[in-house]
Amino acid sequence: MVDMVTPYEIGHGILRYIIFYPPVYQFVIIPGLIAALVVAIFIIWFERKAAARVQMRYGPYEISPRTGGATQLIADLIRYSFQEIIVPRTVDAVIYFAAPVAAVILSLLPLDAMPLTTNPAFWPIPMDYSLLLAVALMTLSPIFVMAMAWASNNKFSVIGGVRESFIVTAYELVAVLSMLSVAAAMSTYNLVDIVQAQSSGLWFGLLDPLAFLTAFIATLMTTSGFPFEIPDSESEIVAGPYTEYTGLMYGLDMGAAYIKRWVFSVLMALIFLGGWAPYVPGPGFVLGYLVPSLIVSVKALVIMAIMSFLRAVYGRYRIDQALGIGWEILVPLALAAIGIGFAEAYFHVYAYMGVMALAS
Amino acid sequence: MPAKIEVKESPKRGILGRIISGNVGALVLGVKYFLDPNRFTLMYPHEYIKLNTGYRGFIVLIYDKCIGCGSCARICPTRAMRMLFLPQKEGERAKKKYPVINYNRCIFCGYCVDICPTEALYHVPYHDIVYYNMNDLILTLDEFQKEPEYATAKEGIPVRYIFDERRGLVKVKAQEPPQGPESGAAPTASPAPAPQQAQAAQKQGESTSKPSEGGGSA
Amino acid sequence: MGTEGSQVQSLPGMQVHPLKKNLYEVAIGPAHPGSGHMRILVRVEGDVMVEVDPDIGFVHRTMEKLSEGRDWMKNIPLFERMAILDACNVTLPYVEAVEKLLDVDPPERAKYLRTLLCEINRVASHLYGFGIFGVFLGHSTLYMWAFGDREVFVELAERLTGARLTHTYPMFGGVRRDMPDDFGQHVRKAAAYMRRRLDEYAKIFLLNPNIRSRLEGVGVVSKSRAVELGLAGPNVRASGVRYDVRLAEPYEAYDRVDFEIPIYEEGDSLARAWQRVEEIKQSLSIMEQAVDWLEKHPREGFVHEKFWKTAPPIYKKVYAGEVPYAGKYRVKMIPLYASLKVPAGRSFARTESAHGEITYYVESDGKDVPYRVRLVSGSYRNVIAFKYVMPGHRLADLPAIYGSFDYFPPEWDR
Repeated sequence: MVDMVTPYEIGHGILRYIIFYPPVYQFVIIPGLIAALVVAIFIIWFERKAAARVQMRYGPYEISPRTGGATQLIADLIRYSFQEIIVPRTVDAVIYFAAPVAAVILSLLPLDAMPLTTNPAFWPIPMDYSLLLAVALMTLSPIFVMAMAWASNNKFSVIGGVRESFIVTAYELVAVLSMLSVAAAMSTYNLVDIVQAQSSGLWFGLLDPLAFLTAFIATLMTTSGFPFEIPDSESEIVAGPYTEYTGLMYGLDMGAAYIKRWVFSVLMALIFLGGWAPYVPGPGFVLGYLVPSLIVSVKALVIMAIMSFLRAVYGRYRIDQALGIGWEILVPLALAAIGIGFAEAYFHVYAYMGVMALAS
Repeated sequence: MPAKIEVKESPKRGILGRIISGNVGALVLGVKYFLDPNRFTLMYPHEYIKLNTGYRGFIVLIYDKCIGCGSCARICPTRAMRMLFLPQKEGERAKKKYPVINYNRCIFCGYCVDICPTEALYHVPYHDIVYYNMNDLILTLDEFQKEPEYATAKEGIPVRYIFDERRGLVKVKAQEPPQGPESGAAPTASPAPAPQQAQAAQKQGESTSKPSEGGGSA
Repeated sequence: MGTEGSQVQSLPGMQVHPLKKNLYEVAIGPAHPGSGHMRILVRVEGDVMVEVDPDIGFVHRTMEKLSEGRDWMKNIPLFERMAILDACNVTLPYVEAVEKLLDVDPPERAKYLRTLLCEINRVASHLYGFGIFGVFLGHSTLYMWAFGDREVFVELAERLTGARLTHTYPMFGGVRRDMPDDFGQHVRKAAAYMRRRLDEYAKIFLLNPNIRSRLEGVGVVSKSRAVELGLAGPNVRASGVRYDVRLAEPYEAYDRVDFEIPIYEEGDSLARAWQRVEEIKQSLSIMEQAVDWLEKHPREGFVHEKFWKTAPPIYKKVYAGEVPYAGKYRVKMIPLYASLKVPAGRSFARTESAHGEITYYVESDGKDVPYRVRLVSGSYRNVIAFKYVMPGHRLADLPAIYGSFDYFPPEWDR
């Protein structure tokens, strides 16, 4: 591989090889861990405020009346940091501590398969099969939620873990099929080409809304979004797999759920909402990497905001009803979405800009 | 006209129409309230409700009207009122029994105020007083005659709730004195002159004869 | 946990149940977000509940025994604390029973005022039940809406009686306060608001396919089963049984107002939820009719003559509002109430509270404290349904059935 980074772009030494090195930068900074935490803080605040507007109340308010309680989440984070982590004696200590950490790390891994710009200097990995890689990496984390439930040694956790495993079988196929329908339409797995093909305003979400809808619902199912908040349903099984966690470990668990939702949203923003579409990335670090990543982040935030708003409208499904929906309704819809993708490929909807140069 | 039995059915529609129209209806309603929320939260203690005179709050004694009959202590469901031989001022001899109250037990039912034959007890229209220890809740005769100090009124804005067809309750700032009945405020909301002032005016004016007759003419 | 064959010490009164092999016991205990003040011991096989055992009694306050040591009038606030939500409905049968012993029939205006407050309380209690139902199913919007709208009715009750929740409004012979001057327009506005809101509740909760699929066909109680179990209140009317105390034995002003009693035949949780919605609508209509009557008729007859003819003139001044610090339309009690002696005898009265039928048996032997008061509340009759209706359903149906029965633990535990 040719050394693609010119020295004056992102500096020498530690800056170039550790902090701004694209795989590390995308995993840790934007849209990685730090961006995900900032987004989680914002989106939890937005969820509480949006739900409060619908529900005849104000939400977070008293802590900073002029900004509408925006610093409430910072206060909650500080509170979680200083809270005592109570570890019950009967838990399996290694898995109890390792599982949330592993869940967070594995949730963030797909971000390294997503491009945020057209400049090859800033791709974390070669992008030829990036869509496939991203979708495959997204299926890694649920096992650790089940490990958390098992290690907690609590009946409610076990029930929650079992429900999580059922839900995984329901949504995984739907998520994979709906995200791959774009490959059917554009005949390529290269995410950069997919985004480039949408740059003329032909967002894939508009051309194949069925795929967008099923991917959206699959994301709700995987990250305990209403109406599918089943593994951690409060009025039935206290907090599901997270029952025995307190303090910063609980914050980490909740963070893992929102981080996973963020990763799914970034991928959906790239596939369905055109990525950095109207903007053409220029040269250099700021114009070529930072700005497109912010545009993608804003689109992903919009998707997450809609998911948060649904909290105010829906209740919770039962586990067998959620499985029924997943297999009886969503899988046929996802297959139909792939069919629509094939139809679009047949009618050459996206045939320009060399997109059809599939590695045939 | 006795009641009639009427058999009803849960609303049903076709399967597909039910799912799609149900979801769409719920989402549209959610968006409608998101854009135009209806909130009447009271931001206590920055605001506080200015309650009407009929509200059953803390109880205050008017010493001059009390005849020491003890009905209030006898009717009190929790035995919060007791009759004690106490002098009005130090150094005097105790002439009759007077009630004292223990707010640890009081449930603000208002029986004592209702049963007093001379209207010597009255409610103040607030109830959110705090004390620092439990002994302060047992009031002496002197404290019982004074209206408790309402700390919230010093810092908060008084508000009042008005019934409204579209929004249920609407919070408005309370004015002193309130407008007429057209504004929808309750008529008993006129802030009555406190009985201490009424008593002082009475003492300056004509003298009272018997407590049962001089019932608070202003 | 004790299982078969282990060394378990036998203490007196302790029951040891050997756990069958493939049943998983989950204790939805008192410290659980979805349990209320009780413990439900559930034994599940997989996801299906096999045995459900409600373990109740956590809020027992020995009210029946306490009432034997208190005067007649002092027992009204005591019994009110049993179900503060519908305070008037749970104290009204006691007042009626003692009035039968005293041979006193309250005048017309008092009856309408009691009916008015009973219906306000019924609406507030049903809205509370809806709120809890919503939060059990994860639908926090209905929870906030129901409690927010309940505030309208609590404000109405506060204008009428002077206290938001613990009204202590009926007393022997009549009521304690008369209606304020502009109460009628408040009631009409509140009723119009609530009718519009009930449509919105239906749109976001009952017709929401999400919630509807969780409620339809869940917890079906057939008509014969409901009668066999002895359920009461809206639960039994949602199973097709045509029974309501207001119809069977009309009390207060219910035989003079025009209202319907909705009956649903399906008997599942959705029917119980719709039953409550329809009952709220009927309560609103009763409230409007009562207020119409009260506005048209002169303000006299709020308490029986026996308790008013010995009143000094200051009482009439207080009622008319001429004593400036004493409010308006307050009915003062004559000192007879403090030393009331009820003639010996037994009597019995019942009303329809929001949770079911509530029955009082009062026995007196001529003294100034009751000899025995026995009460059976609506929740007392309903709790047996948990044991017989829930098995066979999935674990996630437990909150759905619990919420639809609107079981209120302090009402059982007294």
